[in-house]
Amino acid sequence: MKQERNFVVGCIAAAAAIAALGLVGCSTTAGVETTGKTTWDEQGARSLEKKVIFNNSGLAGDIQIVDVKSAMAGDILRVQATLRSKDKDTLPFQYRFEWYDAGGFEINSGSGSWKPLMLNGRETKTIQAVAPDPRAKEFKLKIREPD
Amino acid sequence: MKNGIKALLAVAAIGALSLSGCASTMQYGDAGSAKPISTEFGSSDLQQIAESMVDSMIVFPPIVEMTSSRRPVVSVDKVKNKTMQHIDTESITDSIRAKLLRSGKFRFIDRTTDAQTIEELKIQQDSGLVDKKSAVQFGQQLGAEFLLTSNFSEIRQKAGSTTDVYYKFTMSLKNLKTGILEWSDEKEIRKVFTRGTFGG
Repeated sequence: MKQERNFVVGCIAAAAAIAALGLVGCSTTAGVETTGKTTWDEQGARSLEKKVIFNNSGLAGDIQIVDVKSAMAGDILRVQATLRSKDKDTLPFQYRFEWYDAGGFEINSGSGSWKPLMLNGRETKTIQAVAPDPRAKEFKLKIREPD
Repeated sequence: MKNGIKALLAVAAIGALSLSGCASTMQYGDAGSAKPISTEFGSSDLQQIAESMVDSMIVFPPIVEMTSSRRPVVSVDKVKNKTMQHIDTESITDSIRAKLLRSGKFRFIDRTTDAQTIEELKIQQDSGLVDKKSAVQFGQQLGAEFLLTSNFSEIRQKAGSTTDVYYKFTMSLKNLKTGILEWSDEKEIRKVFTRGTFGG
């Protein structure tokens, strides 16, 4: 009788394991978002407001946004973000930049593509992007685990 | 032992239920997805190449200076495809041209539609349907000042269950008058496929 019970428990565990496997295979991931807005004061000095939002606590434990900076190349906004891996293993990520004009409208809405990024254990890496045109004054950086 | 069989059935049922979530489905995907399917050249590779080339070109200081006051006219050359794959390389240069145009820094000449242009001008000139005052004359198009040329190559290595493919896309902006290369950059992509022990 005891053997039978063990067998039943084992079966339930196996079922749970299969279910977990099945679900993992189809999981989707949220990510980290960083926004930045560039403004000019009366003297013409440029400044960047930035904000980091973590939508995924798992990812927040893996990656840290150390720094975000911006510069102008002529009249086009350039952005650089410094990322640091908090994990000891090599982790794959994907990132994407979205650009907004002074009025907050997205430029080329929905046309950005995800780019792969490999971070070695505890490695710090910079990623850069250039705005699609001179209208861009704000950006949003999204980081997620690979789909 | 009857209970045992019931339990086994339950396992199978739960297993089937959870797996059915991954059965054949049809849905729209993200056009910007970076999920690699194979080591073959894919959509994400194209997007990465196009964005990397355009970003590099429009922030290169001499180009920034040159395009600050005017929009130079550029012609795009066919990509020299030295890979072993059939790739629609025009699609890569189309993406690059579209992004450069939208940046507002350059203007382009499109040689691929010349036949249609000539046909349209002939109709305007010869059919007698079009008012002579508004008909477009031959010989008034602008000549390109620059030529955008590109090379695409791959190095493919295979050892055991691992396939490693390295892609390199090189692009240059040539001044047609002086023959000087004003800008050049390359984008490298490496894709590694390791065949699993199970399955294809």
